[in-house]
Amino acid sequence: LEMSSLGNRLLSFRSLSTSSRLPMYNNPYIARFKERSLVSDGHHKKSTGLTGLFVNEHPHRSLSVVYSRILKALGQMPKDYAYRTFTEQIVKRRLALVQTETNIQELEQKIGMGQIEEVIEQAEYELEACRSIVESKAWEPLVEEAPKNQWTWPIA
Amino acid sequence: MLRRLVPLASRGASAAPFSSAATTEAAQEKKPTIWKIDEKTRDKLANFGRYAAQCLPKFVQQVQFAAGDELELLIHPTGVVPVLSFLKGNHSAQFTNLTFICGVDVPARQNRFEVVYSLFSVRFNARIRVRTYTDEVAPIESATPVFKGANWFEREVYDMYGVWFNNHPDLRRILTDYGFEGHPFRKDFPLSGYNEVRYDPELKRIVYEPSELAQEFRKFDLESPWEQFPAFRNESMAAAYEKIELNPTEKK
Repeated sequence: LEMSSLGNRLLSFRSLSTSSRLPMYNNPYIARFKERSLVSDGHHKKSTGLTGLFVNEHPHRSLSVVYSRILKALGQMPKDYAYRTFTEQIVKRRLALVQTETNIQELEQKIGMGQIEEVIEQAEYELEACRSIVESKAWEPLVEEAPKNQWTWPIA
Repeated sequence: MLRRLVPLASRGASAAPFSSAATTEAAQEKKPTIWKIDEKTRDKLANFGRYAAQCLPKFVQQVQFAAGDELELLIHPTGVVPVLSFLKGNHSAQFTNLTFICGVDVPARQNRFEVVYSLFSVRFNARIRVRTYTDEVAPIESATPVFKGANWFEREVYDMYGVWFNNHPDLRRILTDYGFEGHPFRKDFPLSGYNEVRYDPELKRIVYEPSELAQEFRKFDLESPWEQFPAFRNESMAAAYEKIELNPTEKK
């Protein structure tokens, strides 16, 4: 009896699709992020392939929001500050690309920094960096020179 | 193999195929375990070091190369969080991976402890080290808001050296015994410690007693009478660190 039920299960195992196949064990990570990882059927990819990075179905919207926040944060820094000029250059170039290119895969190719979700993550980190720099006012001249023999090695 | 070397005519040296330059280059190629410094990546790193010093003039005191290829940023202790979040967030840096945080104790200095943060960029395959200093009392800002992985590393630096970190979610001992007194990695902490632990069969529990060594500590002189590194006879001891000039043309 058991052998026949096992045979039945093996036969039906292959006929079932991937999503309803019996899992080996209950992965708590998958259970916790089940809702967040759901992707609508029309999207070109089902997952980014990276743990913890979930597919973003409207990357243009997210990217333009984050880039505009970065530009606003950069506006609080002095105009001749090197970080401000270089970062504004990069962000404006990316924003222009985002606004002209509507196809997601083409946009990924043009930006050339990996998947679009990774680009969004990079932009979020850049925003945190901008805010940290504005808070600490990193454009001012050196706070304090190191004491005389602080960085000499060997000591003597 | 000899054909790959620079043609002898351009060198202007004797045409002997076994000149010293040829043998050292041939010897280098036979030693795959010796790191070859790639000039292009070194230049890129130097450029990035200058760019970082330009972007963070308030905190970066010096930029240098350690061991020819490893970029180091020496910063003021108040700038830990801005510098680390700049390195993590900037689009041309993206050092998202915190490799380790460790401490260095040099008792002769005024600020005896150094805290070293090592970062790695997966996107650009580049490494960078950030070094700050502090003394026994002054705290350093914790890097946990920027890197979640800094948690246990900072706990270890606190436990082993006594460096306090502000705004750390859970700063307590991590490697030493509960109720252990002292900071083991400090240079003035003895090798075998102050207390030793043993099981007492009469009291039927472990007891802590001041350590007693059976012999006095012996310092051996292990120096050999023969020269150890003939290839490095003329090198200065401080040659390992090469400072990167931040304003190469302007200062002159």
